Amino acid sequence: MTNQADPAASVIARAQSIVEDLTFAEVTRWKREHTGALAVGYMPVYVPRPLFEAIGCLPVAVFGGGDRTDIIRGDSYFQSYICHIPRSTIELALSGALAPLDGMIFPSTCDVIRNLGGMWKMLFPERYGAYLDLPQNLTPALGGRFYAEELRRIARELEARGARPLDAAALREAIAAENARRALIDELDELRRSKPWLLRASEAYVAVRAGTVLPVSEHVALLGELLAALTRREVRAYDNVRVVITGAFCEQPPLGLIRTLEKSGCDIVDDDLQLGLRMIEQPITVGADTDPLVALAEAFLKNGAATACRYIDKAVKGDALIAKVRAANAEGVIFTAASFCDPALLDQPMLERALTSAKIPFTSFKFAENTGQYQTIREQAGAFSDSVKLWGGTP
Amino acid sequence: MSRLSEPRTTAGIDVGTSFVKVAVVRSRGGDEGELLATAVSRIRRRALREVVSALFHEACASAKIEPDALDYVATTGEADAVDFRTGHFYSITTHSRGALFLVPTARAALDIGALHARAMRIDERGKTLAHRMTSQCASGSGQFLENIARYLGVPLEDVGMISKRAKTPEEVSSICAVLAETDVINMVSRGLATEDILKGIHQSIAGRLASLVRAIGSDSVVALTGGLAHDEGLVLALDERLARDAAKRGSNAITLVTPKHAVLAGAIGAALLGARRHHQLAIRGALLPSLSVVAPAAHAPEQP
Repeated sequence: MTNQADPAASVIARAQSIVEDLTFAEVTRWKREHTGALAVGYMPVYVPRPLFEAIGCLPVAVFGGGDRTDIIRGDSYFQSYICHIPRSTIELALSGALAPLDGMIFPSTCDVIRNLGGMWKMLFPERYGAYLDLPQNLTPALGGRFYAEELRRIARELEARGARPLDAAALREAIAAENARRALIDELDELRRSKPWLLRASEAYVAVRAGTVLPVSEHVALLGELLAALTRREVRAYDNVRVVITGAFCEQPPLGLIRTLEKSGCDIVDDDLQLGLRMIEQPITVGADTDPLVALAEAFLKNGAATACRYIDKAVKGDALIAKVRAANAEGVIFTAASFCDPALLDQPMLERALTSAKIPFTSFKFAENTGQYQTIREQAGAFSDSVKLWGGTP
Repeated sequence: MSRLSEPRTTAGIDVGTSFVKVAVVRSRGGDEGELLATAVSRIRRRALREVVSALFHEACASAKIEPDALDYVATTGEADAVDFRTGHFYSITTHSRGALFLVPTARAALDIGALHARAMRIDERGKTLAHRMTSQCASGSGQFLENIARYLGVPLEDVGMISKRAKTPEEVSSICAVLAETDVINMVSRGLATEDILKGIHQSIAGRLASLVRAIGSDSVVALTGGLAHDEGLVLALDERLARDAAKRGSNAITLVTPKHAVLAGAIGAALLGARRHHQLAIRGALLPSLSVVAPAAHAPEQP
């Protein structure tokens, strides 16, 4: 069987090559086509991409070096007991791979990303670097005002470096485009829930992640092409276990690991991988009289996902995970956190308690972005899948 | 009799590193089973999908059942080569179930395959309660023993019998396959008897296997499965090692049982678990994926 006859193969292969390209060739191409425009990198988990698009910048997600980067210099900048992504990001930066980026945004994901922002400023003082403090107070009057001001600050700082001035009409347009993208991602997610055999999680993953280095218009085209191809795709369904994976919202597991879970008899029907593009769970609504920047800020407050790097009152995150499992009609949860990921691993016991109360089986393991041996994970996922399938997840 | 408890015919396909094994079983919900047909073939250098397909059809013909009439086709091992499967089970799960079917008194199974060895403690349903397996190192595996047999110029099927004749087994100093192979070459150069070399190798492997059995806390009947279960020299070495360990610890002696179809345990277990799964889904009113064994659609994507 060859992929040549698969109507979705070429678009998935294209997305994968974009995801795996650590030279950011797509960014270089975009800059060639948009002379003088800025490409602004950002670390996971979330930055409001429409803000950057509205001021003529290309927001580019930097997910570290993955499993294809040898860490030589990166290790000397960070202690051994933290996650992998900052080391490989420094490695990329020092090797020149991030040269197409005119600056970097470091959102308030955790202390490690904050420290990475400090490193960036010391190593590359001539390049733009900003820490984006996301609000932990979720009231519009306080957190919303603060956040909108943070966004205005970044827009002003980028304008000083050549970006367009922030303009309400352009921001409305960018938000509308983001909503269009979000609707297509929702369609993919719905397809994964209803027909997981038609689009595997590993395929959806590259298709969505490719959009983190493309302008929204190009990503919308790519997703549209994929959805159209999927209507013509004929594949065989297998009797797999439906699982939700959670915990890998920042540092990303290698593609091989996601495929290993699929090989172990799991249909991954929902996940929080590369959460950024799915952070806002509803369309961003901008009333006729509303400042679109305020709408963008409030969307984060009101409709931001209940993820570990946001402070939310207790029980809410557990309830959100259970709701996700129920909505996806999943039979179990696999906690997939990056080693030493403080936010994910601190939230995990709370989420496990919620799942135990709801009688939802779960298992957990940790990974690093450069994990290369999957045998143990395959063994664990296989045992979990069989346990759910045959014994209802009971010991 | 309710329709749900009617006997079902299911197939299990165990795609291993060296062999493909197929079993067709008729059972009620995977609990009581009758082995209808089996087929085993070494892969050698043939196209794996072709080997699987031919063997599967051979087993179906032998069981006098049309492939499309099977209620569930379950794979274990490397499922990628079986596009027409209904579902897949992990090899630890299937060997546990298959071991119980083959040795109903067993409460543990030791699967000794071409690349790995695994010990499982099981309950009366064949469910795995605990398991341990060898690491990436090949020194506890069938492939390692096959390499040694080749160096010594001994047919693989004679290895066990020759090993049993050993009088002064030569200890293999390393637990690493590469170094152990070097040891063997040195032993041959020193003119040591083939049976003493083989027994030394068997004792080395038995030491690793005994550790696995101890680690799962088994103290009862252990069913041996996988290709090496029929190596009588290895089984003797393992039996001696376990008896020595039990005497040292004052614990119960472990009984090793090699069933006739030891090599088919994974395939049999997969078939029985397929029937169990079919039964459970039927109770829930859930639909199974369709069971066409014709060539897959030309534009189906490659499986991960």
